[in-house]
Amino acid sequence: MENPYYPIDTVLEDVITETPTIRTFCLKPARPVKFKAGQFMQLTVPGVGEAPFTPSSDPNIEDRMEITILRTGKVTEALHELKPGARLGLRGPFGKGYPLEKLGGKDVLVVGGGVGLAPMRSLLYALFNDPSKYNRIDIKFGAREPAELSFRRQYKEWSSLASNISLKTTIDIPHPDWDGHVGLVTTLLDDLEVKIADSFALSCGPEIMLKFVTLKLLEVGYTPPQIYLSMNRKMSCGMGKCGRCNVGHYYLCVDGPDMCYEKIKNVPNVFG
Amino acid sequence: MRFIDSTDFERLLKKLSAEGELVVPVREEDTGKIHIQRVEAFPLPAGTAFDGFRSVESLKGFAQHLRSVVARYPSEDMDQMEAEESFPVFVIVGARGCDLKAMELVDSVQVEGDYTDPFYKIRRDRMLVIASDCTECGESCFCTLTGSNPWPEKGYDLTISKVGSGYLVEEGSERGAAILSENSELFSEPREGQEKARVENREKVLAQLKSNNKDYPASAEMTEKLRGVLNDELWNEESARCVECGACTNICPTCYCFLLFDQQDGEQFKRVMSWDSCQVTGYARMAGMGTPRPRLSDRVKHRLYHKYDYLVLSHNAVFCTGCGRCIDACSASIDMRDVFRKVKTKATR
Ligand SMILES: Cc1cc2nc3c(=O)[nH]c(=O)nc-3n(C[C@H](O)[C@H](O)[C@H](O)COP(=O)(O)OP(=O)(O)OC[C@H]3O[C@@H](n4cnc5c(N)ncnc54)[C@H](O)[C@@H]3O)c2cc1C
Ligand code: SF4
Ligand code: SF4
Ligand code: FES
Repeated sequence: MENPYYPIDTVLEDVITETPTIRTFCLKPARPVKFKAGQFMQLTVPGVGEAPFTPSSDPNIEDRMEITILRTGKVTEALHELKPGARLGLRGPFGKGYPLEKLGGKDVLVVGGGVGLAPMRSLLYALFNDPSKYNRIDIKFGAREPAELSFRRQYKEWSSLASNISLKTTIDIPHPDWDGHVGLVTTLLDDLEVKIADSFALSCGPEIMLKFVTLKLLEVGYTPPQIYLSMNRKMSCGMGKCGRCNVGHYYLCVDGPDMCYEKIKNVPNVFG
Repeated sequence: MRFIDSTDFERLLKKLSAEGELVVPVREEDTGKIHIQRVEAFPLPAGTAFDGFRSVESLKGFAQHLRSVVARYPSEDMDQMEAEESFPVFVIVGARGCDLKAMELVDSVQVEGDYTDPFYKIRRDRMLVIASDCTECGESCFCTLTGSNPWPEKGYDLTISKVGSGYLVEEGSERGAAILSENSELFSEPREGQEKARVENREKVLAQLKSNNKDYPASAEMTEKLRGVLNDELWNEESARCVECGACTNICPTCYCFLLFDQQDGEQFKRVMSWDSCQVTGYARMAGMGTPRPRLSDRVKHRLYHKYDYLVLSHNAVFCTGCGRCIDACSASIDMRDVFRKVKTKATR
C-alpha cells in the first residue's frame, strides 16, 4: 500500500535570493509532481522537519518545482543554509488550489503581500497560460520596502504579456530607491480598473493583511462569494487526518488552503 | 443466537489467542475499576471480567499508536509501508457499545475520504472484536444521551451477553460466523429464560443510565444550542479550572489528532506519528508565535465544538459516544454534561 507519509526524494538544484529574507528554491523531485496553482506541498529538510509551502512555479511544469520561502523558524532557517545538491523530501500536492474554473471570462484581481507573492506567482503562471480566457487580470503587489518585493525581475515581462494584464506595486513607507506608489497594499484597491460585479478577487499574504484586504474589498463592493483567501494554519498531515488546520468545520489542508470568504466569514477568530 | 458457558468461552479464547494477541478487561480488586490487559498465558488473569462497564482506558491505541514510525527516509524503496503481515492481529474481547461506536466514528475519518491512513487501516482490518453488554453503568456514562444503548449493536465480529454461568453469543460478521461454525462443539442452544435474562439486564442498565442522566440534555440538541453561545461568558467560567493537561483528549476514544515529527535514525531519518492534544498552547501555533486559539477558553471550547458541531457538518455525526472517560480523567472535574446543561439554559434564555 502506498505510504502518504513518505517524502519523495528531491534534489535542490538552485537557490535564488529574492529579498534579504526570502529565497526561491529550485527543486527536482525523483518523480514528476503534478500540482494545481494554490495547492501546497510538505517540504522535508531531513532531520529538521516538514513545513507546508505553496509552489511558486508554473503548474504546467511537472518535473521541476520552485518554492519561495521566508526565513522564519527552524525548518526555513535550515533551508536558507542549504547549497545546491542538498537532498530534500516532498509530499503532496495537498488541498484544492485556486478556483481557476470560476475565473474564465471574468475580471480577476490578484492581491499579494510579502511572502504571499509566492503562491500568487504560480496562480499568475496558470492565468498567463492563456490570458485571453480572462477579461482582465489586475495584479496588486505590496511589501514593506522595495528590497522585499519578490520576483521584481519578472514584473515588466508579466505586464507586457497581454494588453489585459496590469501590474501595480506599492511599498508601505517611503524609501530613497522608490518612486512608485507608497502605502499599504489596500491603498491600491481604491480605484480599481476591474468591473467589480463581474470579478473575483484572490489574495495571499500575512493574516493581518488578509483581514484588511477583505474589509477593503467588501467596502469597494465585492461580495463574500467573490473573495478567495489563502488561509494559513499550522499543518502536519495535509490529508484531513491530524486535525491541526481546522477553521470552523473545514480542514484547510483538504478544503483550502484557498478559501472562499463566504464559507468562513462567520468562523470566530478567522484571521487569528 | 448461541450459548457458551464460561469454561468453554475461556477454551475458545485460548484457541483464538493462537491467531493474535489477546486483550481482555480485568477488574482491579481494590478499586473495582476495569483495565484492559494483554493475556500472556492461560488461565485468564484473575479478575477477568466480561460484565460491568467500559474499561478506564479507551481502545484507540490499538489502531492509532501513541507513537509509531510511519516512514524512514531517504530510501531507495519508494514504498515505506512495512509488510502488511508484520502488523499484529489483536483479539479484543469485552469491547462495549461505546467502544464500537468510537471505532466506527474514527474509521470514518482515518479510512474514508480521499486519503486513507494505511497504518490505521491495516491495524483495524487485523482486529478481531468480541464485544459485550454492559451489566452496569458508570456514574459518568451517558451513552443514552448520544443516541446509543449500553450494548453492542454493530461493529463486532461476535458479541456476548452475560447470563448466569455463561454467555449468549451472536455473530456480527462473516469472521464471527466462521468462528461459531468452526467451534460448534463449544456452543449450545440458549436455554429457556436466558434470552429473557438478557432483555431484563438491558432494561435495567438502560433505566439506570436514564435516571443518572435525567438532568442533562441529549447530544443531538447540542449542535444548535452551541452555535448560539459561541461568544458567551460561560466559556471563560468553564475553562477557568482547566489545567491544560490534555487528559480529556488523550483518554477520549474519538479524539484522533496527531503530530508528525522527524528524528535521526542511524544514517536515515524516521518520521514519527504521535498523539496530540488541541488543549495545549503549542498545538496550532504558527509563524511569529501566532495561534488561532490563544486563550485556554478558546481551546476548551474548540474541543466541544469540534465534536458536537464541526464533525456534524463534515461527517454527519456527533463525535462523542458518551463513554464519560473525559469526565473521569479531568483533573479539574469538568463534566461536559454539566457544561451542556448550562449551554442549554443560556441558549434558551
Ligand atoms: C498552505 C500553506 C502554504 C504556505 N506557503 C508558504 C510559502 O509559499 N512560502 C513561505 O515562506 N511560507 C509559506 N507558508 C508558511 C510556512 O509554512 C511557515 O512559515 C513555516 O511552516 C515555518 O516553519 P519553520 O519550521 O521555519 O518555523 P518553526 O521553527 O516551526 O516556527 C517558526 C514559527 O513558525 C511557525 N509555524 C509552523 N508551521 C507554520 C505554518 N503552517 N504557518 C505559519 N507558521 C508556522 C511556528 O509555530 C513558529 O511560530 C505556508 C503555510 C501554509 C499553511
Ligand atoms: S468526549 Fe468524553 S464522553 Fe465523549 S467520547 Fe470523548 S471521552 Fe467519551
Ligand atoms: S457509556 Fe454506555 S456503553 Fe459505554 S460503558 Fe457506559 S453504559 Fe456501557
Ligand atoms: S494538516 Fe492535518 S488535518 Fe489538515
